[in-house]
Amino acid sequence: MTTTITRPAAERVVHRRKRDWSVAGRIVLLSLAAVLVLGPVLWTLSTSLRPPAESFQLPPSFLPLNPDFVSYGQVFKQLNIVALVINSALVTGLIAVGQMITAALAGYAFANLKFRGRGALFSIVLATMMVPAQVTIVPVFMLIRGVGLSDTLMALILPAIPTAFGTFLMRQYFMGLPADLAEAAAIDGASPWRTFRSVYAPLAMPGLSIVGILAFNFHWNEFFRPLIMTISEQNFTLPLGLVSLQGNLGTGSISVVLAGVVLSMIPALVVFMFGQRALRDGLTAGTGK
Amino acid sequence: MQGSTGKLREISRRTALGALGAGIVGTTVASWPRLTGTDIPGRGDNSLSIAIMGTAADAAARQKVVDAFAKVHPDIKVKVQAIQAVDWKDFFTKILTMVAAGTPPDVVYVATEGAQLFAEKLAHPLDEYLRRDAAHMKEYFEDVHPSLVEAFMYKGSLFQLPIDWNAANMYYNTKALQQAGLERPADDWNHLDFRNTLAAMRKARPTDFTPYYWTNRLFGGVVPWLYANDTSFLKETKSSGGRWLWDSFYANDPTRGMRSGGYQWLEPNANDPKVFESFDFLRGLVKDGLGVRPEEGGGNSLVGLFASNRIGTTPAGGYWVQGLSEAGMKQDDYDVQFFPRWRTQRHQFGTAGYAIMKTAKDKDAAWEWVKFSSSLEAMQIVFPTPNTTPARRSMVNEQLYAGKGPRHWKVFYDTLDRFPSTGPIPAPPQQAAVETALMKNVSLAVSGDERQLKSALDSLQRDLEFALRRQP
Amino acid sequence: MSTASDTRVRTKAVRGKAQRGASAGQPGKTRRSGRERQPWLPWVFLAPTIVGMGIFTVLPIIASVALAFFRWDIISAPSFVGFDNFAEVVQDPTVRVSFLNTILFVVVAVALQLGLALGLAIMVQEKLPAWLRVFFRSAFFFPLILSAASVSIFMRYLFNEQFGVVNWLLSLVGIPAVPWLTTPGGSAAVVILVYVWQNFGFSFLLFIGGLASIPVETYEAASLDGATGWRKHVHVTLPLLSPTTLVASVMAIINALQVFDQPFVLTRGGPGDSTRTAVMVIFESAFQRLEFGQASAIGVILTLIIMAITAAQFRLSKRFVFYQ
Repeated sequence: MTTTITRPAAERVVHRRKRDWSVAGRIVLLSLAAVLVLGPVLWTLSTSLRPPAESFQLPPSFLPLNPDFVSYGQVFKQLNIVALVINSALVTGLIAVGQMITAALAGYAFANLKFRGRGALFSIVLATMMVPAQVTIVPVFMLIRGVGLSDTLMALILPAIPTAFGTFLMRQYFMGLPADLAEAAAIDGASPWRTFRSVYAPLAMPGLSIVGILAFNFHWNEFFRPLIMTISEQNFTLPLGLVSLQGNLGTGSISVVLAGVVLSMIPALVVFMFGQRALRDGLTAGTGK
Repeated sequence: MQGSTGKLREISRRTALGALGAGIVGTTVASWPRLTGTDIPGRGDNSLSIAIMGTAADAAARQKVVDAFAKVHPDIKVKVQAIQAVDWKDFFTKILTMVAAGTPPDVVYVATEGAQLFAEKLAHPLDEYLRRDAAHMKEYFEDVHPSLVEAFMYKGSLFQLPIDWNAANMYYNTKALQQAGLERPADDWNHLDFRNTLAAMRKARPTDFTPYYWTNRLFGGVVPWLYANDTSFLKETKSSGGRWLWDSFYANDPTRGMRSGGYQWLEPNANDPKVFESFDFLRGLVKDGLGVRPEEGGGNSLVGLFASNRIGTTPAGGYWVQGLSEAGMKQDDYDVQFFPRWRTQRHQFGTAGYAIMKTAKDKDAAWEWVKFSSSLEAMQIVFPTPNTTPARRSMVNEQLYAGKGPRHWKVFYDTLDRFPSTGPIPAPPQQAAVETALMKNVSLAVSGDERQLKSALDSLQRDLEFALRRQP
Repeated sequence: MSTASDTRVRTKAVRGKAQRGASAGQPGKTRRSGRERQPWLPWVFLAPTIVGMGIFTVLPIIASVALAFFRWDIISAPSFVGFDNFAEVVQDPTVRVSFLNTILFVVVAVALQLGLALGLAIMVQEKLPAWLRVFFRSAFFFPLILSAASVSIFMRYLFNEQFGVVNWLLSLVGIPAVPWLTTPGGSAAVVILVYVWQNFGFSFLLFIGGLASIPVETYEAASLDGATGWRKHVHVTLPLLSPTTLVASVMAIINALQVFDQPFVLTRGGPGDSTRTAVMVIFESAFQRLEFGQASAIGVILTLIIMAITAAQFRLSKRFVFYQ
């Protein structure tokens, strides 16, 4: 893969030893970082598997020798997990799909279609990312109430489908694809829509995967909007449901609270594992030449 | 390389995409009722909507009450909505959101923290109903201490009937006490006795242990010490009126004379020397390692820490018993005693009950619910476990705490009977801003030197003035 | 690198197919580009996004700005107060402190976040066994899949002054118990640490992507010229990475300026106002003090600041960013 100029043998040996050392050094540093990053998660997992009285044992044990799943049973008893997961899944899934579609369309338009005001419009789209949700939440709430969608899952889904960040990502991605693709199609008389449908859309998957995975991630864990927009407990998403595990005046058992945290991690983890490859492809291909 | 395999890939990709698209559309259509909330029972109909703070676990108990109510009032349909919230502030935020959405509940379970806000802006007084059904309600008032009722009076009217409540008593770990070589403290122990107890505990367990653990909150943080020292961080006054209630229901009560038309907290009191004194006492505890520097908020860790014998004493109320039992603590591992005396032994409490909203269309039906939920039958259904203290004295009994509760569970209700000046935590209509102002400054006040304490209290005074500047 | 070339292979194939397909069909159609015949087409593509944003973002922003001139507690009707809200808000010491806290937070947290992400990305992208590389990439991205609220819940336990694991670890190396969540400095440190812990994975991924697009040949050429190790990174990697760095830093700063979840769950803004951020003050004004007009006024000010900072970044980028 690489071409190297041959060097005298002795130098090569020295160079290799230096390389081995630096590889080892890097692995040590990276492992240290990984321990710091994953440690708290492991602690959470192991504490959820122990009764509350043992939660604050020092030295902390990261690997529970006698895992006790009773707290997980408690979570299922205290919460209607199935309903919460269904709500979260519906909301997050539909938002992710909606964002992928709108971002692909809009990103393509900004990247490949020329029209007046393109630059200005794109700046405005980006500017919407700079307004905190807490500022717009009350007018959005009133809007939703006006169309009669108060306290529904639709109230969470619809406002989240247009995505400035997703549009930005897809525009970057499409701009990173070879320009002659469009030229080739144009020369052969394909309309912009046909170009999009037959040429660009099939190639868009890596970029769209990023948009979808990030959208899933963000909205699966979202707390603030559901807190304000949903009222009936039948409409609660998982993060909201988990809050109630903390109990009245904070008397809920720490093991149960952490068990809830672990359970809510699982779907996101699954999507993450499946999306790993797509994420990697998308990021490296999009910014590549 | 392309050609037929290319076309095949194209076709299979098309079918895959097509299938995906169909799947998405199908899901959306199939789950339409869920997405638009039309599958929620009782939506948009004329049933009485009741908002309570609760978790899904209460659903079973709630349903039983609804069923029991239906037997007595088959013509009134009821829908109970549990609002999830970590504390009362978040709960009221949600209620306000519902008001803004144009779908306010008809009846709301309101705690002391929100009582005056509701009384001032949102709730309908119960006076006329109480007068009308006085004969029926007599029994309730005989079973409930007047201090609780007075907490829900506002400018001469009553807005809620207390259903549950909690005072801040002192919980202690019996093992830690034994290890310190001490006996159960006397009922009238004072703050210096308390300090000595902490010092002895500390000596016996110098590490991995805290003699006094407390959290920075409106309920049970600094306030019990202020009340014991005959002061508060807000100037407490009482409004006139309400005699009709005291005369009709508490005619024989010895404390009738001191009852009023409700509490008022109109001005800050943070620069009172007694306030300084109380804070300084806590500062001393922190400085000498006898008490912790407090964390903000509820402290979920508290139950776990106490149950694992790492805490000597902490202020808490009857609401802790169930949590401790679930955390594995045995009856004899801990016990409860009155809060230490200072100039007085006045305790602080919080209480909660149902309020009828001004916006309720059928207030008579709402009253029927309020009345029913105050009955012994309803309260017994709602409080099968000791996760709070029932407002009815008759319910705070051996049975409730059997197998779980501290040996001296009598302390809970005796707090009201023995110390009739015991009062609610300071909660004016601007409660949220007031609590924020208090919490903001407590940490700084107790974790430095005297000068820092003084400046923290000055800052508290200013913040409270700002919070209270707009009187409703 | 294989994935980039994958795409290249695929695009070549598609290009070939498009050529063949287009010339095989469409008899009789003129060979002009479709743009002139369908000027409305871009708008069809843009419609879902633009219309959606118009309704759910732009309209609420305008409403919010308008609301800033009223006093409203959501229960009664709004009343017009002109610039009173802005005047009060600018003089409110809590608001001032919160904005200062936010700026400070952004400077420290973003520097940490980007520095950590860049350093780790560079280390991961260099020679490593493939399975280790995958492991480290997954590990560093992991905190992002957790919700900020959940993270703050278990971080509170870990940073407990008496019984938390962090202080226990420090005690092993002789450091006395740090008052994490009970002093202003400690609380600020915890909020920053938790935020960086959770969010650096995103910048890390952006840097990985950027690093992957630097061809190996460039490094070979550089090492021929004698630039190795540290110098190689300063003179070769960083400049080539600058477009990615710009994107990463713009995103990191915009997000950090709006931080809410972590301080809200960890400390509720305390002790004092030490961890109260601008967005928290907006939330508290609205939902706790029932001053929705003032909350909107603070929101307007914050948004203007965010825009100004972002614009400044782009201006600076003209000097520091090198595109190929």
